[in-house]
Amino acid sequence: MTIIVTVIGIIAFAIAGPIIGCLLAGLDRIISARMQGRVGPPLLQPYYDVRKLFSKENASVNTSEHAYILFAFIFTLVAGGVFFSGGNLLLSVFLVTLSSLLFIVAAYSSRSPYSEVGAARETLQAMAYEPMLYLMCVAFFMASGWFDVAGVFFLDAPAITTAWLAFLGFLFVLTIKLRKSPFDISMSHHAHQEIVRGVTTEMSGPTLGLVEVMHWCENVLFMGWVAMFFIWSNPLSIVLAVVVVLAVYFLEIWIDNNFARVKWQLMLKSAWAVALVAGGLNVAVLAYL
Amino acid sequence: MELVASLIVVPVVAALLLLAIKNDRARDVIAIAFAALIALLSIAFAVVFAGPGTYEFALPAEWGHPLSLVNLAIDLTVAIFVVCYAVRYKRPLALGLAALQIVVALWFEFAVQAGAEFSTTMRVDALGVVMVLIIGIVGSGICVYALGYMKDFQAHELHGNPQARDRRPWFFAIMFAFLSAMFNIVLVDNMAWMYTAWEVTTLCSFLLIGFTKSEEAINNAFRQIVMNLLGGVAFQFSLVYLGVFGLPLSFSTFVEIGSAFPALVMLPVTLLAFAGITKAAQMPFHTWLLGAMVAPTPTSALLHSSTMVKAGVFLLVKLSPIFAVSLVPSVMVVLVGGLTFALCSFMAISQSNAKRVLAYSTIANLGLITACAGVGTPEAVWAAILLIIFHAVAKSLLFLCVGTAEHHIGSRNIEDMDLLFERMPRLARFMMLGIMCMFVAPFGMLIAKWATLVSFVETGNVALIILLAFGSAATFMFWAKWLGKLSGIAGEPQNVELTVHKSEWAALLLMAGLVCVTCVLLPVMSSGLVVPYVQTAFRYGGQDISDGNLWIAAICAVLVILMLFAGLGRSSKQKRVDVYLAGASADNAARTFRGSLSAPVEATSRNLYLDGIFGEARIAPVGSGVCIVIMVAAIAWAAAVLPSML
Repeated sequence: MTIIVTVIGIIAFAIAGPIIGCLLAGLDRIISARMQGRVGPPLLQPYYDVRKLFSKENASVNTSEHAYILFAFIFTLVAGGVFFSGGNLLLSVFLVTLSSLLFIVAAYSSRSPYSEVGAARETLQAMAYEPMLYLMCVAFFMASGWFDVAGVFFLDAPAITTAWLAFLGFLFVLTIKLRKSPFDISMSHHAHQEIVRGVTTEMSGPTLGLVEVMHWCENVLFMGWVAMFFIWSNPLSIVLAVVVVLAVYFLEIWIDNNFARVKWQLMLKSAWAVALVAGGLNVAVLAYL
Repeated sequence: MELVASLIVVPVVAALLLLAIKNDRARDVIAIAFAALIALLSIAFAVVFAGPGTYEFALPAEWGHPLSLVNLAIDLTVAIFVVCYAVRYKRPLALGLAALQIVVALWFEFAVQAGAEFSTTMRVDALGVVMVLIIGIVGSGICVYALGYMKDFQAHELHGNPQARDRRPWFFAIMFAFLSAMFNIVLVDNMAWMYTAWEVTTLCSFLLIGFTKSEEAINNAFRQIVMNLLGGVAFQFSLVYLGVFGLPLSFSTFVEIGSAFPALVMLPVTLLAFAGITKAAQMPFHTWLLGAMVAPTPTSALLHSSTMVKAGVFLLVKLSPIFAVSLVPSVMVVLVGGLTFALCSFMAISQSNAKRVLAYSTIANLGLITACAGVGTPEAVWAAILLIIFHAVAKSLLFLCVGTAEHHIGSRNIEDMDLLFERMPRLARFMMLGIMCMFVAPFGMLIAKWATLVSFVETGNVALIILLAFGSAATFMFWAKWLGKLSGIAGEPQNVELTVHKSEWAALLLMAGLVCVTCVLLPVMSSGLVVPYVQTAFRYGGQDISDGNLWIAAICAVLVILMLFAGLGRSSKQKRVDVYLAGASADNAARTFRGSLSAPVEATSRNLYLDGIFGEARIAPVGSGVCIVIMVAAIAWAAAVLPSML
């Protein structure tokens, strides 16, 4: 039964994820442009970009890179399917980790020094955000009583009421997960900067297109993690959750445009400190009070 | 009964035969035949005894007395062996501990236990079945692997010193004797007998670690024996306690009494937990396992995966019903295990020696198993048993891979494993499979960690939750960068894996197959082997992750395995391009490019080791210090309540 529901979820997410993610990305570019005093591209510009990537010649530095990326994409879809079909939150987090691991290995497999530096930094980023992610899941469970996301629809009060500290901590590492400045150290959106293009240096054409679509889907999934904190048995809470998601996304864009990139040392230390304080404290309060 | 007896006797016969045989071919045939026999016996054993409930067997009562003498004789022989070595190499500490053991053993046998009946009961439950399968299949697989490995090893020895004596008969005899001792530990109910087998495994690993007789090997072997003799003495004291208070020396009764009246057995449980912690190489005793890597690689594989350290966690898991109700030993085990997990995962980041990374990862995972056992709820024990299973198969695969790679690329440094994906394509894939099984969903270790997290959350164990969260993040880092190193592809370097021995491939294939099967059939394994044990020990099953989720993970595991073995490295008509080197590429495989003066420049990159943050020098003293304080405090506490009992 779980499997059938999950498969339906995966199919739905495979269709809706890229569409919503593409629109979010387009919105991101327009808002960023306005913040920088530019007009910005049309809303569907990310779609045009990816369509162009898919029409390009299929060239690559080795045969494995594309396979890794393809499987990274598949597991992102599975993670999204598990989450949006109301499945287990931890399972969806673990599958996203698998997907980011395959993304990292794809970069390593090219053996380009720039990719390798990017991959090493991406590994550091994963290590920086993981403790907070786990603690976020634990706090969500302790606040709601469910690891299954579908449980939120039975709650009398949303999880945010008791897990707000962990939620704030999660927002902090969300900036790393979205690869927004000041934490865009593994692959900056600006190719002229120090490590060329980091993880994706050697990815081109359809492979790069797939990476883009994967990131859209990831962003939608992460926004789902944000939304689950604001939903309870009242159906109107879904509207609230959507509003919060848009506000959070706007906040991330604002941060992206207003902070200079930090070094990895600061990222690791700050993310772990936030995890320990926000995550640890929230979990302790929920466990003992 | 015949099956139980043959599991114990067959490896001993194999050991004696192999000790006598000097010929290579004969050794191959006999070792492979016995390894296959032991594996088949364990499978037959599993078929007969799998499922809920326990089975007890005992020899006729008149066997009791002679066997008790045999038991004492083995016990003394082990101690005298250690005494001889300690005298020969002038190690007073080892000498003192072994002498103390002899005195206590004699006093215990002839004063405390005089006239008491010696129980010959063997007790089989589902956990015993799991352990028998691990020892019988993984352990004997490693023995087969050792055949090929030790040929290369011997050739290397002869290369350095043409007069080097061929000591392989000794090596293989110990390997098989080790298996027999392990079968004893997991099947026997009489604690005096279990203690003897416990000491035999200590001695066997001492001999295996010191096998090369280099100065480093001898030093590390003595470090191992001192630490484990400490545990042995603690084990012995708990036996004495039981004897003095007139409690039976039956392990199952001990656990029953302990869970009903925890105060009565607080001291012996704490001492036994301490013994388990020493054997499971928890901080501060982790240094003996790190030192063990001077031994030939099959030894490490055996110590890390199916024997020795697994005896330690086996004992702790068996004791977990008592931990569930007894605060002091539980807190000790939980904290030492949790700290060891997090800190050893951190230290693994700073290591570039592959065997050392594996050793730290073993210690860390044993820490997690220890912590689960200490929590003592059915859910935690379910997770602990799965961790034991997956750690055994994945870690043996990894050690065997590293051993083979070392013989063919001449290094065990991860930085030298660059391009292994092309130089040893099959081996690199096995290694990648093993690594992924160790730390990432949807493979077994992570599913077990998932259950661990859930069980910690359910018991509200905040310290453990935090240690697990940070330790897991570090785990991701050190495995991912190793995996990345393996995956590099450039040009067409020479394939060097064509000279790998057939027996090595056979063992590697066996382990890789076991990893795949156990990961994919996890739900079946849970309901067939793990839940039955937890049910017998705790009244309910303890599986905390729904079957549906387990099957989703299993399907994902199939996908990843397909990707590794069918999806990667296939030739295609895709256009090949050079990597970007910020200059015209000169030789893509060597990563050289033409610099601004048009001279070839080589681009190099190394992985991050973050020694300044996660270095051993920073972390080890703190971790060891804290763990020592915890254990001293726990044992002192347990001893302090003793007078009120009298």
